Amino acid sequence: MFLEIQRVTKNFGDVSVLKDINLALKKGTILGLVGENGAGKSTLMNILGGIHQPSSGKIIFEDKSFTPTSPSDSLRAGISLVHQELNLFYNLSINENLHITGFPHKKVGGLSILDQKTARIKTERLLSAVGLDIDPTAIVGDLSSAQKQLVEIAKALSTSPRLIIFDEPKTSLTKYEADNLFRLIQELKSQQTTIIYISHNLDDVIQLGDQISVLRDGVLVNTYNREDKIGTSQLINDMIGRELNHFYPIRNTKPEEETIFQTNGIYAKGLLNDITFELKKKEVLGLYGLVGAGRSEMVRALYGLDALDGGSISWKNEEVLHPTPANWVRKKVALLTEDRGEDGLLPDDTMEKNIALASLPTYSKNPGSIVNWRELKKNILKTVQATKIKYHSLTDQSVKLLSGGNQQKVILSKWLLTEPELLIIDEPTRGIDIGAKYDIYDLINKLVENGMSVLMVSSEIEELIGMCDRILVMKQGTISNEFKKQDFNRSAILEAALHTSE
Amino acid sequence: MRKNALFYLCLIYYLVAALLVPGFFSANNSWSLIFNLLPLLIAAIGQMYVILTGGIDLSATAIMATSSVVGGYIMSSDYGLNIPLSPLVLVVGVAAMLAIGMLIGLINGLSVSILGMPAFMVTLATMIFFNGLAVWITGSQNIYNLPEAFNNLFYTSVLWLPIPIWIGAIVLLLGFFILNKTVLGQWIYAVGMNGKTARVSGIHVGATTVFAYVFSGFCVSMAAILYTSRLETASPVMGQNILLDIIGAVIIGGSSLYGGKGKIHMTTLGAVFIILLDNSLNLMGLSYFMIMIIKGAVIVSAVLLNEWKQKSTV
Amino acid sequence: MKNIHQYITIIMLLVITAAFSLITPQFFSFQNFTNILIQGSSLAIVATGMTFVIITRGIDLSVGSTMFLAGVISGKMVVADTNLWLACLLILLIGILFGYINASLIYRFKVVPFIVTLATFYMGRGLGLFISETRAVNLPDVFLSIGTSRILGIPFPIAILFFVVLIAHLVLTQTAYGTRVYAVGNSVEKARKAGLPIRQVVLSAYIICGFLAALGGFVAIAQLGAISPSFGMNSELMAISAVVLGGTSLYGGQGNVFPGTLVGALTIQTLQNGLVMINANPYVYPIVTGLVIFTIVLMDSLKHRKNTRSLQTFP
Repeated sequence: MFLEIQRVTKNFGDVSVLKDINLALKKGTILGLVGENGAGKSTLMNILGGIHQPSSGKIIFEDKSFTPTSPSDSLRAGISLVHQELNLFYNLSINENLHITGFPHKKVGGLSILDQKTARIKTERLLSAVGLDIDPTAIVGDLSSAQKQLVEIAKALSTSPRLIIFDEPKTSLTKYEADNLFRLIQELKSQQTTIIYISHNLDDVIQLGDQISVLRDGVLVNTYNREDKIGTSQLINDMIGRELNHFYPIRNTKPEEETIFQTNGIYAKGLLNDITFELKKKEVLGLYGLVGAGRSEMVRALYGLDALDGGSISWKNEEVLHPTPANWVRKKVALLTEDRGEDGLLPDDTMEKNIALASLPTYSKNPGSIVNWRELKKNILKTVQATKIKYHSLTDQSVKLLSGGNQQKVILSKWLLTEPELLIIDEPTRGIDIGAKYDIYDLINKLVENGMSVLMVSSEIEELIGMCDRILVMKQGTISNEFKKQDFNRSAILEAALHTSE
Repeated sequence: MRKNALFYLCLIYYLVAALLVPGFFSANNSWSLIFNLLPLLIAAIGQMYVILTGGIDLSATAIMATSSVVGGYIMSSDYGLNIPLSPLVLVVGVAAMLAIGMLIGLINGLSVSILGMPAFMVTLATMIFFNGLAVWITGSQNIYNLPEAFNNLFYTSVLWLPIPIWIGAIVLLLGFFILNKTVLGQWIYAVGMNGKTARVSGIHVGATTVFAYVFSGFCVSMAAILYTSRLETASPVMGQNILLDIIGAVIIGGSSLYGGKGKIHMTTLGAVFIILLDNSLNLMGLSYFMIMIIKGAVIVSAVLLNEWKQKSTV
Repeated sequence: MKNIHQYITIIMLLVITAAFSLITPQFFSFQNFTNILIQGSSLAIVATGMTFVIITRGIDLSVGSTMFLAGVISGKMVVADTNLWLACLLILLIGILFGYINASLIYRFKVVPFIVTLATFYMGRGLGLFISETRAVNLPDVFLSIGTSRILGIPFPIAILFFVVLIAHLVLTQTAYGTRVYAVGNSVEKARKAGLPIRQVVLSAYIICGFLAALGGFVAIAQLGAISPSFGMNSELMAISAVVLGGTSLYGGQGNVFPGTLVGALTIQTLQNGLVMINANPYVYPIVTGLVIFTIVLMDSLKHRKNTRSLQTFP
């Protein structure tokens, strides 16, 4: 066997991301790896790439025990990764990017200097291999997304690896470029290079893979061979697996007729295209999409955190001309962002200060006058009880010491204190324990019953199906499908998000 | 625990100096300590506001010089305005000094928040510019003959205490009040602690930043008023050597240079420590430059200590 | 994009030259241009070192103090009859030491560069003033004779300048190290992921900067023959201005020594020379300097904003 993964487990803190993975791969074959968002594909890949180390289990690579502790270990061993997130220096040329970790040198009068000619010849060879006809001295920052992605692939080839792992390598490629890439992959295979191809595009995986493995919740649920003639529906079933249980609390109200939030033709260059939808009072609207589909980008742009290049937004039938966070807060629209540490918390501050943050102006006449802390504290206490946070002290404990679930509840409390009429919530339960999840769902339901509307962004279909009245599916920066409650069906929603029509 | 540590450090230093340094423990030197402390403390409070937002104001001493010169031109009987009514000239002069300081602060603040320029480069540029401006308009000459009433500020008592002590106390309380009691104060902390979270939470990050720089300009001109009165002279090189003391007081007080962390009373203790150090080393007969090196070393140690504490608490 | 900025700087240099030439005819002479090169060589050398630091997204405010302290120490030693060459060597060693101290505080303790170098700025200046007892250090004539000597018929300062610019340009453009300096300046995070030796890059950039600051100081001292207590004051600002004026961004990862920093330094020197020639009030210089720095930094910020906007598009 060329590569053997034996009983590999990976835990991050208490969370188990990979459980007892066994995989074997022959030299010169292609493995297709599929699974939902968060199933553990990237973690598995990062273990092979030396970015993470397994918690237990072992890897045998070319008949030797393989324990990389850094990306360079893996590179040296002959493993290259093509990340979905490009690790390119935008200020450097293609040539420099391809050789950044090892330039060819030559001796000139005893001095070792760069061998530009050799480097350039190699770069040209690699670029033509990936089908990119462009000057090697072009600056990477000036290239299109597709060109950048091809440069990243060329970089992976530059070390002549014996195992290449592709993670969604063609998200921004055109059909022509993608065909080129597939030809390249077949060519690599014929030269006895082994390939792991990770993708949400099941047709691609079926077309390429000699062997296809499905990951679900960190477990390798099934591995098929080409001879099995497997279809997409079987793979989708494997990816989803479990039955929806009655985990989600019931909501006793239905959406009303009144539309309170509406967008029309929202456009942001390179990110979003023609986003049009409306949201009713007391409605929970779900927004599903794969990583990179533009879900978070859309809500951030709507909230005025990132630039919009066109389109209109209206709130309660009035056009919002200046969608800035400050204006939205005043209109009682709240945004709970996906990354708690990045822009959700003041990590070093106390719970009280964190929760008070968005409501301060409500508790004083103007920014320069005294904050009515007595009233504020009373309401903070009420909110904290509603969100069921477990804490030691409101005023003497930094929130960074709380668990993920409690941190999320702190941010939720911050927004509830503003008494929002619309709550936009991005990944409400990511990285949160099951108890806190239920608390959050329950709370959302109560608030909706009391008149609030919710726009819920999530990469977990199950969560959306359990909570929403309607689900929008985003793909490549635009809304591609809409599902009404009676049509909710996991396979159909996942398929809508996965399917790439060309 | 740490705030007590700095308090005891000051106390022990004071006692040791009182025992060992001749002339330290005297009525004269005590007044001199207080009078040196007041302007430094006021300027440090302003600086602290800026540092809390994650910025820095290197133009503080240039503001001082410009403010002093502007006040001098208006109030001195040698120049221009010559408003006959003494109280009026005093009011106009002092108001103009504060206004010019706040104006420069406004320039700094807008450049940092609206134009997105790095704070230290902006304030370096304004430092050079306004230092140069002060020297240029005066031809590098001091301005004398300020109004009696202005010169006597330090010798005039209201309710048993000299006016500068009242000024110091008022600025201190104002600084404390804004930071701890008002919305603006909470915003300043939030902007420095995590500007992105602040923005998402609907805080006017830009306006908050601008306010911090304007407040720094206000405080520094307040300090300029005290210095100018004490010297009975408006000087275009006023405060040339105390920029390090101002920033040092804030840093020794434990404020983080990354913003979001710092307390008024700690900055006060920081300023007290700097003044004690400066005064005692002077009395020991050390040269100005030796003192500068020692102070530099103390401040660098404080920075390293702060960073080390940061890491050890994570 | 990069090239356009360089043309602007070169055009600015030409416009300034033309303007002063029109005001005072003496300005436009071979002799005066040589003078500008000689007087500007020290600044250009210091700025060359600063370019390395700024490309890594750092800053070094201590270069003026480095120039001063290194000069004072070795000057004192020469006056005390130490071997001249040993003293010259010492100057450069002090520069390297300064750079090393800056870099290790920045890298190991993760303190922001401008604070570290602001502290070493004060300490270096204080130590120098302490050693020189705030009096000018008058140097033996050998120093002046070095300053006025010629290498292959080229005045000493110009020869050193060209040598420094040539080497620095080759290092930045023709070596793997140079490319990594740009890479680290673009993104430390990405550099870490790519497994680049970040510590080595940061350390070396500040050491190069300290070394060239000391060398630039030496070149200036060799022309002046004495070290006044204000020697090297504001040099850090001049150097930063020259670097940014030459198209190197304070946001890191962009810029070059040739032609960028060289043209930037010559522009500033030409401006100063011209102001002297037209008998401008010397008190006006700092005002002009402040305005120039402000404008340059403003342009850099605006350019950076535009760039980040266009980089936000994701694959």
